[in-house]
Amino acid sequence: MYSDLLHALPDVLGFYNFAAVIIGVIAGIVVGAMPGLSATMAISVLVPFTFGLEPLVALGLMAGIYNGAMYGGANPAGLLRIPGTPAAGATPLDGYPTAQKGQGGYALQVAVVSSAFGGIASAFALMLLAPPLSKVTLLFGPSEVFWVAVFGLASIIFLLGGNPVKGLISACFGVFVSVIGADPIFGTDRYTFGRLEIYDGISIVILLVGLYALPPVIDLLEVPLKTETDANKLGTEPIWKTLPRMKGYWKTWIRGSLIGIWIGILPGAGGSMAAFMSYNEARRTSKTPDTWGNGEPEGVAASEVANNADTASALIPALTLGIPGTAVAAVMLGGLLIHGLQPGPMLFRENPDIVFGFMWQFLFGAILLVFLGGSLATNSFARLLNLPRPLLGSVIIVLMLIGVYSIHGRMFDVYLMLGFGAIGYVMDKLKFPLPPVVLGLILGAFAEENLRLALRIGRGDWTILFQNVTSLIIVALTVAVVVGPLIKRRYLSRRQASAPGQEPGSKTGTQD
Amino acid sequence: MLKLMQNTAIAGAMILAAGAALAEYPEKPIEVIVGFDAGGGTDVMARTAAPFIEKYLGEGASLVVKNVPGASGQIGITETAAADPDGYTLGTFNLPGMMARTIDRESAYDVDSFTYLANVVNDPNVIVTSQKGGLDTLEKLIEEAKANPGAVTVGMSSLGGDDHFMLIKLQELTGAEFTIVPFSGSAPARTALMGGHVAMGILNISEVAEFQEELNVLGVAQAERSPFAPDLPTFKEQGLELLNGSMRGFVAPAGLPEDVEAKLLEAFGQLAGDQEFLDAMAATANPVEVVTGAEFKALTQDLHDLAKGVWEETPWN
Repeated sequence: MYSDLLHALPDVLGFYNFAAVIIGVIAGIVVGAMPGLSATMAISVLVPFTFGLEPLVALGLMAGIYNGAMYGGANPAGLLRIPGTPAAGATPLDGYPTAQKGQGGYALQVAVVSSAFGGIASAFALMLLAPPLSKVTLLFGPSEVFWVAVFGLASIIFLLGGNPVKGLISACFGVFVSVIGADPIFGTDRYTFGRLEIYDGISIVILLVGLYALPPVIDLLEVPLKTETDANKLGTEPIWKTLPRMKGYWKTWIRGSLIGIWIGILPGAGGSMAAFMSYNEARRTSKTPDTWGNGEPEGVAASEVANNADTASALIPALTLGIPGTAVAAVMLGGLLIHGLQPGPMLFRENPDIVFGFMWQFLFGAILLVFLGGSLATNSFARLLNLPRPLLGSVIIVLMLIGVYSIHGRMFDVYLMLGFGAIGYVMDKLKFPLPPVVLGLILGAFAEENLRLALRIGRGDWTILFQNVTSLIIVALTVAVVVGPLIKRRYLSRRQASAPGQEPGSKTGTQD
Repeated sequence: MLKLMQNTAIAGAMILAAGAALAEYPEKPIEVIVGFDAGGGTDVMARTAAPFIEKYLGEGASLVVKNVPGASGQIGITETAAADPDGYTLGTFNLPGMMARTIDRESAYDVDSFTYLANVVNDPNVIVTSQKGGLDTLEKLIEEAKANPGAVTVGMSSLGGDDHFMLIKLQELTGAEFTIVPFSGSAPARTALMGGHVAMGILNISEVAEFQEELNVLGVAQAERSPFAPDLPTFKEQGLELLNGSMRGFVAPAGLPEDVEAKLLEAFGQLAGDQEFLDAMAATANPVEVVTGAEFKALTQDLHDLAKGVWEETPWN
């Protein structure tokens, strides 16, 4: 098997195939940086055009876009508090405050190095461990996946910020949105009011763009005159000078990579869950948890390393079992199918050059991030802040409208996005945290479907949920995640420790 | 004067030419509405078939695929049904799904809303079992399902699809009883089978061809053995009259002009004999079975009646 891996290398280094990866990475960064345009969308737009291309050129473009976009989303997330992609949902928590402190350039450099680290770790996992790791996926049936979703929902607790009640309301809103559409088992209509457009449920991208991107843009436009102080506060230094400052993040990088790889292997969860969980864990184990949320660059590292670490690993179940780990991987499967590459155990035997070539392309895509992303980030995107605010705000609004319209080519989606934008604006003003909404939407649907499937398998018997070791391990982890902090909090309050820091995502302003 | 005559002559010639061009369908690009995302099975079929249809429609014909995904293809097929019947809008059509949608929810189309061009793909169902259970023959499976009604769990993709109708036929033929576990697609169902989380599965042959070593394939619901997997026995060989599959083809809105319909039918009819097309379809795991025009409509009507019968006895939502 490893000889196949080496055998595929020369092809990948061919001019066209390598150029495809480079173009893909650049395109991915640009797409990711634009709110409303996501990797899933870019690749689905690309898929029909790849019909006439050589397989490795087509796959190289896709691998490049995937890697690039996962990092690109960090740019507006850090600079403007607007995650460019769903996966960058956790990046503004610390990225924006960092930028506000005048370290925007550094935040982006941390993001790019972390993204590359996660991408490289993930590519190695894919190249070296794909067949054994696909066996891990097989352990996760409906009842196990249900517990994973519960585990994810339980960790939301830490994202609630200063006010758990508001956080829980946000999470419930997300879960409610997940219920809209046909139910996963019988296809019964729920809250669709006869609109076929939402029969398949509310697309995460529409919700995210409306909820996350619109309020900050309105914010930008509300205070058009506060721009002058920001202009020269990027603090951009060449990336090789800032690298030594990042060496303290190695624990976060390794932890985030492992979390990202694990989430990638599990079907359905995707980059945003990986990023949030990694952020959580990093914050929980940090020696200075109080600085988190107020501009701790390590928070950016935690989020960005994990959302890139799930890229290649999401392809492990996709290539070996035909089940995509993320929405992007699902679209990529379509791209593979067009070139006659049927996912499954036979794929590795029948088309080793292409499959292993694809894996190399993931690795190169991740490495290229440092070079392409590093220079792009510091030289172009960070200059965003120099634009007059009214101009910047209008450009972003136009991009959002185009992006959402182009998902399915429907105005309905645009109206839906604007509706969520209004809700997001109100929530933002009332200081309701937004991350729990996104996680509620993703994990709510995930938990419901798998719980119902598990109960059907058990023919209504609830004990099916506790009948094997994998389930019990995840249940134990969930309990630990919920109870652990309560005990810790009681211990801390006895020592009269101060309350947790400011609410995530809230503006720290320009005063400091 | 001469000039005027010349101009008149040219104008006259142009009018004649325009008249001739009008008769010469197609004179502009033909849109093919696919009710699923780019890269899915139906999309791949449409894009693979498009250049061949262009070839058979003659010089200058061009087919443009437009993806209108959502609601299991219902949004796309509704758009096809409502389009102008001028031959410039075609759509992909899935059976039995498109007919089941007219029964289990409100739909803006029915069997008579379409001009039936050609069914192109027939992907027969297969019954597979997990290698983690002991049910490695059809006999053992049915015995177990009869002895313990409902104890055998069956993974499949959504209710009201070909897999579901296949199971209903099996239950009617054998009197055995199963518990349905409808996953959101075939791939997750297949994975649950490989992990031993469900005992049995109903899939399509294209979905198991690459997984023959990981699953027990008990039989194929087709009259003849499939060229896709010639080693796999049919149910007929095992004494069970079980035929079912997932079908994909092309329709146009009802009421096409006769000459346009004839031209399209002729073009689609030629697909079956085109080796290059058959090879392209085989490479993308699409078993071809071309059925055109009236026969295709009759097939659709049959499936509609079957689905309606099932719905009246055991509605699935």
